[in-house]
Amino acid sequence: MLDVLGHKAFLGLHNMGRFARFIWDAITASLYSISNPSTYSLIWTQMHIIGVRSVPVVMITGAFVGMTLAVQAYDQLAGMGLEEHLGVLINVSVVKELGPVLAAIMLAGRVGGALTAELGTMKVTEQIEAVKSMGTDPVKYLVAPRVLACLLLTPFLIIFADLMGIMGGYFVSVIQFDINARAYWEFSASGVELWDVSIGVIKGFFFGCAIAAISCYKGFTCKEGAHGVGEACTEAFVASFISILALDFILAIMAKTIYSMFWPLKSLV
Amino acid sequence: MSNGNGDNQGVVTKDDGVVVLKNVVKKFGENVVLKDVSLAIEKGKTTVIIGPSGCGKTVLLKHLILLLRPTVGEVYFKGERIDEFNEHDLDKIRTNYGFLFQGGALFDSLSVAENVLFPVRQHYKITSKSGIDELVRTKLAMVGLDGFQNYYPGNLSGGQRKRVALARAIALNPEVILYDEPTTGLDPIRADIINELILKMQRGLGLTSVVVTHDMTSAYKIADRIIMLHEGKIYADGDAEHIRNHPNQIVQQFINGRVSDDDLEVLRMSGTISRSEFEPLDLEE
Repeated sequence: MLDVLGHKAFLGLHNMGRFARFIWDAITASLYSISNPSTYSLIWTQMHIIGVRSVPVVMITGAFVGMTLAVQAYDQLAGMGLEEHLGVLINVSVVKELGPVLAAIMLAGRVGGALTAELGTMKVTEQIEAVKSMGTDPVKYLVAPRVLACLLLTPFLIIFADLMGIMGGYFVSVIQFDINARAYWEFSASGVELWDVSIGVIKGFFFGCAIAAISCYKGFTCKEGAHGVGEACTEAFVASFISILALDFILAIMAKTIYSMFWPLKSLV
Repeated sequence: MSNGNGDNQGVVTKDDGVVVLKNVVKKFGENVVLKDVSLAIEKGKTTVIIGPSGCGKTVLLKHLILLLRPTVGEVYFKGERIDEFNEHDLDKIRTNYGFLFQGGALFDSLSVAENVLFPVRQHYKITSKSGIDELVRTKLAMVGLDGFQNYYPGNLSGGQRKRVALARAIALNPEVILYDEPTTGLDPIRADIINELILKMQRGLGLTSVVVTHDMTSAYKIADRIIMLHEGKIYADGDAEHIRNHPNQIVQQFINGRVSDDDLEVLRMSGTISRSEFEPLDLEE
């Protein structure tokens, strides 16, 4: 029993060590890519695949988040005669929390799954070894462009999700529930601060980085065969999902601490 | 130096060949795949490594370019010890090699021309498009596939894929070219085309070649030297004639494709198969 536990603990530590080393390699390779314009075409290609093609699904996600929030919250607020405050509730929730998190989860499924499947297939068909055999670092060639594309574009995708969430909330609140549009926007503007929007967008950098790093790692370390690739894709999604939620929690605490430290200074500004 | 069977064996020094393995041991967990293998690859010659499936041929081949690092032992390239190099320094050394993978390992998303150009783009600045087109044309012409520049790997047959992979492997004009089972999965005619190409590379360009195969027709045709690997050790080492007349029973069984008496006995022990065992299954659908 102790033997098994010890072996599992050792294996877990070993995998964490491998992942940490992979992250370090990915960071150094990404810094190399940023400083080397000849690699920009690779990043550009990945930006198109990862970013541009994800716009529709992320927008749809955002729109449904906004609409659902409006439907769920209307009855409670209308019961207290506060239905005109619906905009604050929807928009703060969308830009600060639900927009970034749900857009990131959608990306973990769409982009993360594709990255793991692509790199995993490359691994089992020896294409990654082929890159290495030609004197090229596979992390520089395959991982860095994908990490940079995810890192740079996830915040933009979150802005799209936020916009659509705001539109969706507006559509249900004003068109369907007949809330006064002017009051809806005025309460929204007074309740949503630049800080709220910024924090949501900043989360995007962390989420994008986590999705790309985990997905690429799982692709690079996937086992042989179709089963191996499938398993790697599942593991990549689950690990990305948990990382997004854990990062969201940590970033929420950090944001709250920073906000309460600097909030008293706001009146001076 | 030779052993009792006339095989080339004995102490290998770092200057004995263009690539030298010295006392290499490779373990994967508890599984020891290579057991104290020493080998010098001679410049300008074709060395063929034969042996049964799972005996460590591909593992040995990957040690020559350090795609795998030895657990114990040393690897030399032109007299310089390279197994202690970091990956960055190894990348420079690897430009002296070409590697033809078993399945070709072509990049599916790139065209044939882009595949051939891949290593060139990674190591050189490309300024002239016409120069590049000419380079691709020359390399593809060497493997008889000029005109296939705009095809994608998915549109090629198995033999054509291997030829494009060979064109890519020689794109940087390497000194050493490593072939991992180049004729596996090909019909005899396509396999012979690959054999002819290997000979052409060696005779025309003076390349040092190492070929892993279990295709004895191919081995006899292309080899200057044949090495037989069995259970992680070198069992036989010599020219084609030497291997043909080798006194060792395991070597003879392998080169003649004959099953061992022990394996035959196991098959006989499992009993005869009667027609009644192939009746429709008496199971509920």
